[in-house]
This record gives sequence, C-alpha cells and structure tokens, in this order.
Amino acid sequence: MSADAAGLKPAVIVAENLTQKIVSGGEQIAILDALSLRVTAGESVAIVGASGSGKTTLLSLLAGLDSPTAGSIMLAGQPLSSLDEDGRAALRAGRVGFVFQSFQLLAGLTALENVMLPAELAGRADAEALARDTLAKVGLAARTGHYPYQLSGGEQQRVAIARAFAAQPEILFADEPTGNLDAATGSRIVDLLFELNRERGATLVLVTHDLNLAARCDRVLRLRAGRFDD
Amino acid sequence: MTDARAANPLRFAFQRLRRGWTSGELRVLVLALAVAAAAAIAVGLFTDRVRLALEAGAGDQLGADAVVSGRDPLPAQTYDAIRATGVRIVMITTFPSVVAREDGDETQLATIKAVEAGYPLRGALRLAREPFGATEPAPPQPARGEVWVDLKLWTHLGLRLGAKLQVGSRSFEITRLIAEEPGRSGAFAELAPSLLIRAEDLADTGLVGPGSRVQLSWQLGGTREQLKAAEAVKLPDAWKFTTPENARPEVRNSLNRARSFLNIAVLATILLSAAAVALAARQYSQRLRDEVALLKVLGARRAFIRQVLVLQVLLLGLIAGGLGAAVGVGGQSVLANLAAPVLKITLPTPGWLPLPAVLALVLLMLAGFALPPVLASVESSPVRVFQRAADPARGSAAGIVAAVVAIAALLWLQAGSVKLAGFVLGGALATAGVLALFAWLLVRGLAGVRARGGLSWRFGLGNIARRKGAAVAQIVALGVALMALLLVTVVREDLLATWKNKLPATTPNQFLVNILPEQVTPLRAFFAERGYADLALVPMVRGRLTGLNGQEVTADSFDDPETRRWINREFNLSWTDRFGDDSTFLQGKPWGPEANGKPWVVVDEYGVERLKLKLGDTMTLDFAGTPLTFEVHATRKINWDSFRPNFFVVAAPGVLDAPGLSPPLQWITSFYLPSEKRALLRELIREFPNVTAIDLDAALNQVRSIVDRIVSALEFIFLFTLLAGLIVMMAVIEGSRADRVRETGVLRALGASSRVIRQGLIAEFAVLGLLAGTVAALAAQALAWALAVGVLELPYGPRPLLWLAGAAAGCLIVTAAGYLSLRRVLTTSPRVVLAGGGA
Repeated sequence: MSADAAGLKPAVIVAENLTQKIVSGGEQIAILDALSLRVTAGESVAIVGASGSGKTTLLSLLAGLDSPTAGSIMLAGQPLSSLDEDGRAALRAGRVGFVFQSFQLLAGLTALENVMLPAELAGRADAEALARDTLAKVGLAARTGHYPYQLSGGEQQRVAIARAFAAQPEILFADEPTGNLDAATGSRIVDLLFELNRERGATLVLVTHDLNLAARCDRVLRLRAGRFDD
Repeated sequence: MTDARAANPLRFAFQRLRRGWTSGELRVLVLALAVAAAAAIAVGLFTDRVRLALEAGAGDQLGADAVVSGRDPLPAQTYDAIRATGVRIVMITTFPSVVAREDGDETQLATIKAVEAGYPLRGALRLAREPFGATEPAPPQPARGEVWVDLKLWTHLGLRLGAKLQVGSRSFEITRLIAEEPGRSGAFAELAPSLLIRAEDLADTGLVGPGSRVQLSWQLGGTREQLKAAEAVKLPDAWKFTTPENARPEVRNSLNRARSFLNIAVLATILLSAAAVALAARQYSQRLRDEVALLKVLGARRAFIRQVLVLQVLLLGLIAGGLGAAVGVGGQSVLANLAAPVLKITLPTPGWLPLPAVLALVLLMLAGFALPPVLASVESSPVRVFQRAADPARGSAAGIVAAVVAIAALLWLQAGSVKLAGFVLGGALATAGVLALFAWLLVRGLAGVRARGGLSWRFGLGNIARRKGAAVAQIVALGVALMALLLVTVVREDLLATWKNKLPATTPNQFLVNILPEQVTPLRAFFAERGYADLALVPMVRGRLTGLNGQEVTADSFDDPETRRWINREFNLSWTDRFGDDSTFLQGKPWGPEANGKPWVVVDEYGVERLKLKLGDTMTLDFAGTPLTFEVHATRKINWDSFRPNFFVVAAPGVLDAPGLSPPLQWITSFYLPSEKRALLRELIREFPNVTAIDLDAALNQVRSIVDRIVSALEFIFLFTLLAGLIVMMAVIEGSRADRVRETGVLRALGASSRVIRQGLIAEFAVLGLLAGTVAALAAQALAWALAVGVLELPYGPRPLLWLAGAAAGCLIVTAAGYLSLRRVLTTSPRVVLAGGGA
C-alpha cells in the first residue's frame, strides 16, 4: 500500500524507498526494504507489527536517530541526508518530541528540569514557564521538585509525556508508550497522550504492539519483514 | 557453554577473560593491581639496591669488610681461628704521638698509623704530590723509611715533599700527601692530623712498648661465608668485632627513615588501589550474577563455576603482576637516578628479592578485595534468568572479614613493622574521615550553585549531586593523593621560604672555629679593618661530664641513646657575662656582675631534658684531668635560628678562665658575609691558616640537596598514589557507564548537540576535580599550619594561592582523566533509548 494520506495538508514526514540493512553472521539482512511513507501535519499514525518486523528501526530513521542504508527522509521540510549527527539533533531540538517505553528521564534532574530540557535545548527563554504549565496539565504541579526515583512508574511516564509536549513540538514520536505500565495506568497515559496531542495539534507517530492503542490513531500501518502490509 | 561438566575450567576461564576484557571493570581491576605492584616493586628494588650498596660502601668506610680491634695483640689461638676461615688480614697499629719537622721547631700531635701491606682492604687510598693536586692510587704500603702525611699535618707543619719528619727516634722522608683515605671522609674524619708508615718501621721509632696507648686493628676481607665464620669465632671481652652493619648506624638510620617515608607513599598507593579493586570487583560481580544464573540453568555445577572464577582472578593477577613488575623495574631506575647524586655510590644491579613479596601483595589484594565479591556471584539463583527481583544480592560478612584481614596483612607486609602499619592505617582512616566530611559538605553545598547555570552546568552538577556517595568516594581518593603531592611540593617550599623570611637578611652565614687564644686580638683587628667592628668571639672549652649531684656518672648511667652519645664524648661549653636576645630563660634569671667567679652554669632545655636537671643540681665536669663542679643556676631555651655560637651549657665568667686553670681552649665566632665579599675568606685563611671557616650556606645547600632528592623520590611514588586515586575514580565511573550511555542517548534524541553533552561532562569532572583539589589543599594547609605552629614555631597564615593551586590542579587532572575515560560515551547513538536498544 502507498502510505500516502489523501488531503491537502502539508507533509511533515516523507520517506522514499527507505532501506536499512545490517550484516549479521556475514550475511546481509534487510530490516526495512524500500518502503515509502508520507505523514501530514496533525495526523496520527500507528506503526504495528510483530517483534523484529522493523518498527523501532523505522521510528529511529524517521526521527533522525539513525541513518538509512538507502532512501531519503524529509523531516519538517528538511532532508535528513544533508545533515550530520549534530545537524539532525539541532533539527529535533524543540520541534520533535519523544515518549519512550522506559520513560528515559534523566535521574540527575528534577521533574521540572526534565520537562524543561527540550525547550532549553531549543534555546527558548520561556522554558521554565512552558514546563510548569505542561506539568500542571499532566497533574504533577505539586511534584516539580521531585527526582525520578521519587516518582511512581505512572508518574514518571506523565513527566515523560509532559517533556514530550512542553516545547510544543510539531512532531511527536512515541515508542511503546505503555509497554512498561500496567493496563489501568497505561490506559490513563494513553488518554493523556491523545488529549494533549489534540490540544497541541502535533503530528503523532507511534510504535506499538497494542492494537487498541493503534486503533485510536488516524491511520494504522502494519509492518512485516521490512515492508508495509498491503 | 552447554556442557559445563565436560569443559576444562582453565580453557573456559581463558575464554571468558578474553571476552570479558572489553568490560571496563576488569581493566580497572588489572590497572589498580598493576599500579600497586609497580609502586611496591619500584621502592622494594630501589631500597634493596641501596642496602646492598651500603653494605659494600660501608665496607669502604671501614676500609674492610669487617674489623677486629683491641688494645693488645690477639691471643694466638683466636688469631689462628680467624685466619683459618680464609679471610685476608691486614693489621694496623694506631697511636698518638708528637711529631716534628727536622728542619724546624714546630711540633704537632698526630695520629700515627703503622700499616701492613694491602692497607686498606676495601675502598681506595689515594695519594697526591701537593695539596689538592692530581691523585694517584697508593702502592700496597709506604716503602721503608717513607711517610705519607695528611693535609692537616702538611698544613700545620708547613711540610713539603722530600722533607724529613721525626717520628719517635726515627726520621722519615715525606714522599706523598694522603688525598683520600677510607673512613676519613666528611663528618667521620678523625680530628687529629695523621700519617702512615710501614708496619716494619714501627719498632725503629721506639714509640711502642709496654704501657703505650696503642690501638690495634685487624682489617678482614673475604667472602660472605668467610666473614660469617670469622664473626662466629669467639673473641675475648677486650676485643671487638665491627661489621659495616654496626659501623655506620647513622647511614643505616637514614636509609631506614627514607624507606619508611617511601613505604608510607607505597602504602597510600596500595590502600587506594585496594579500594579500586574492591569497587571494580563488586561491579563485575553484579554483571556476573546474570551470567552465573544462566550457566546454572544450562547445567553448570557450582564447583565448576567457582573453579573458573578463581582461575580467572588468578590470571588477572598474573597479568597485573607482570605489568606492574615491568613498570616497577622502570620506576626503580628513576628512583636510582634521582638518588645517585646524593648517595655518591654505584648501585648494584637489582636483585630478585622483592619480587616474591610483590607477588604476595598482588595475591593478597586479589584474595582480600576481588575474590569475595566475585565468588559471591556463585550463589546467584537460576531463577534470576526470569526475574531479577527474586535473587537479591546479599552482603557478605566473609567479604568484610577478608578485606579487613587483607588490609592488616598488606600493611604489615609493606610497612614491615606493626607500629608503622598502625600509624599509616590510623593516619589513613583519620585523613579519609576528615576529607570525607569536607567533601560531603562541599557536595551538599553544590545544590546552591547548581540552579545558577545553563543546561550543561545543571546536568553535570546534577550527576554529582545524584551520586553523592560516589562523588565523596572519588573526592577522598583523589584528595588523599593530591594532598600528599601538595605537601611534598608546594607546602614544603612554602615552609622553607617562611622560615628563611623569618631570618633577618644579615643572619650569620659563616662560622670560624679553631681560633687560638693569642689570635683573638689580631683577628678582631683583621675584621675591624674590613668593616666588622663588633665581631663577637666566644670562648669554647671541651669537658666531659663525670658526675651529677655528687654521684659519678658514665654513659651507662643513662638509657636514652642520645644522652649516651652526648655523655660518651667531650662536649663543648663556654662562659659568658651576659646573654643575648636569643636566650629565653625558663627557670632562674640571667646573671649579672655578681656571678663573676661563681661556679654557676646555665643549661639549655636539651641538656635539662637529657640529664633530668633542676635548679640547684650540681654537675661535675672534667677538663683535661681537672674536675670542676658547677651548680645549675638557671635554665634557658636557645633560639638556634640566630646562627650565633651557642652552647647547651654556659658557665659564669672567672671560673674556666681563672688564673692557674687552663683547659685547652679555642675561640669561635659567626658573622654574615655577603656573597660579593667572599674574597675576605681567602685573605683570612692566608693570614690565619689554622682557623677553619665553615660556610653555612654551603652546608645548608648540601643538606637541602639531599632533602630535595628524598622529596623527589617521594614525589615520584606519590605520582603512583595519584594514579591509584584516578583509578578509584575510573572504577566509580565504570559503575555509572551504563547510565551515562543511556542518558547521553536521551539527550541526543531530544536534540542536544555533542557540544552541550561534552560541556555537561566537563562541568561534572571539573567541579569534582575542583572539590578534590580544594579538599586536598585545605587538608594540606591544615597539616602545614599544625607543623608550622606546633613544631617549627613559625608564623603561618592562610595561603589562598595554595588553595588555588590545589583546586586548579585537581580540576585539570580530574577533567582530563574523566573526559578521557568517558569520551566514547559522547558518541552514543540516540538509538539506544528506543525499546529495541541499539539493535
């Protein structure tokens, strides 16, 4: 299937003939095999597939965390192949948000400092105000000074979501956002994620095993053996 | 590894080691062991070489490998028994006698040595044709009728080659001047002028007969075994067997003291390395638990796993020992080169003696600090494969016992004495405690400055604040090493400069001794002509203490070795009618004119302490056969920094110089001579040839160059200590590496540039180093202050420059080391933060 979404909205992610190969045991294996994808502004896309289907690899390529073996990616209007590692980081700063499966909060920083991080990296002077505001939205106004180890798993993921949205990114990548949470907490976190996404109008690309979660997105793409299922 | 039962543990251990080598913990462990071994080997080999050289060198000083001495010829039976051991024997007869120039009236008391062929058995006797002329090795002994004289006799009698010297009833021709003679160098030189004649000429002088004061000595030379056999020959009480070991107690003491200092530095290195080994082994065992659990699931028996782990640890020890030995052997040659100009002896090639001790050291460190945590992982449960929480790590009491026993054993092994070991352990614990307290306060204080910086700063400081315990451990380890280095470099120089600054610019730097009573007036005139109007000449007589409070005393009356040495020989004393400002009276008062002719003395606190004196006690002193009894009138403390002649015992005027009493007397003085006026000394010696000038500057410089060398050696070993401190830091860093990799990935994913991440890392280590340096400087400053005020009595205030230097040094060293060991983390791909990890 062509991953194009019909409509007039501008595309914020465009991938063409994306191929990622690795060498394992002297043999080349294609993790992603010449796939193409187009995501428009404000759209929410779920990428699902079995373990080893290439979901995480695709996400890391789309977000510019890694470089493809072949093919091209445009992220927020910029061709990633023209940027080096630092250039890609600069592109992400403030414009791309992340929610990770294992929260990935920095243990040395407080909840507030963790949330401020993306806006600070984007050089925004209002980083603290934005962070406080977003933390209040996720219901953690009273815990700004706490360090990650002082928070529960659900609270940590709420801080992570606040961090993802605080800098008002155009694009949000989520990698198994409920993978480390129990069902009830996971469901609350998903509600929060979609609520904020609706409110901020960001483009959401999420990778998940959870078909219920995927079903809440505008579009679901199934990966199998490095290609999208037709 | 599916069939562990059939596997060979050694091969398995090798394989695991090769694969595990990439893990930082093992490398840290090997490095720590190697540094400890290198420091121990360097010092061990070096001191052993010096010991061997001293034994040979002391032989030179003695002129022989051993000497038998007495007043009478050895009983034939004893002599034959010694000879039967195979040693070579050269006999010397020594006695004092007045000798005279045949063509003049001058006479001189001299020490006469009649030597057999082959004198001296060890060391070189060198002769010259004129004072300070070219020297040549001496023939086995003087020819019949010839005499070799020393420089003193040559000068006193105004001799020349070919002149005739009357010794007893025989006339000798002067054929050479003695330039160098074993046992007569430096401070050990005999005071009286001396001459050498052939043993066969002795009878012709007619000086030796029944009742004459001769000293007979038999120089012995031979192999170690022969000498041992000779020493075993029982000597009658009146004869003494002297070996190089008991001949030079002062050199041996100096070596022992230097060895103690170096051993303290080695011990500090070993303790820090042990901490690094323990840390690295603990971290390694954490990782091992997963692996052991898996091996158990796959069917490996505990005994097999244990064997593999023990073998692996032993292999690590072998690698570390080899590495340490290579570095240590290089290190000892650095020490030898540093010491060479001071020791002025050729060091023999290093022996292998210290190597087993170092092997024991490495094994002990492994057994005490590495094996217990590594072996504890054998207990990890197979269920861990499914659920880590079901297999919590348990603290092991055996591990703590092993560590304590190992520390005690290491200290004992390296210090060689329980006292030094206890001192070092106590000192190390106290220092670590104080440094830890300092460090803790500083780390706590970081919270205040953390919020006041950019992202990198906050991130870097956050890393310190989060791992407070680790930060304190790192600061203490590095602080100890930096403090030691600061003490031996900056603080030492500073104390010396403070002391020098305290001395007035015109502090005397020249001493004149041997001034004869009749030279006092011309000498004063000589100096007055050259602008020294008030040269203070002080009389000096020599007396021997023979009684205290009416009781006869000898050296044997005292237990304290220093007192025995003091009493055993004649000591110098003086008389005066007034006391200068360099005297502080402790008891009693300085005397006035009323003291004239009174048998009173003022005693310095040194004498008071040695002889347990109080006011009113009496001291009987013997002056060349005339006993005089004095009463202790007052006690005082002398400020020796004045560099004016001073005496432990000073008598009232009109007693020692009373008419009719004329003990051998000389005058001494001290004065300040600017370096541009040194020509004065030449004129002085021309006009007053018997007067000896002692250049204090030169003497001080000589002492200083020796101290400098010892300090350089210490600095060198303390570099190993610093290295050990850095390895502790590396061990702590290894423990946090996985976290750091993950966090760097997060920062990269969120858009942080490599610059921001690098700055965060630099901020963290710069602050850590700054704290370690500050703690070290503060501690060094506190020690220096205690030393200055408590011991050296110097005014000493805060030294901001020292703090700055310490903080800057700590900052630079730690930043560089931290950055180097974590630079790979900077290149972490942001992919590691995704669910699939780096795959």
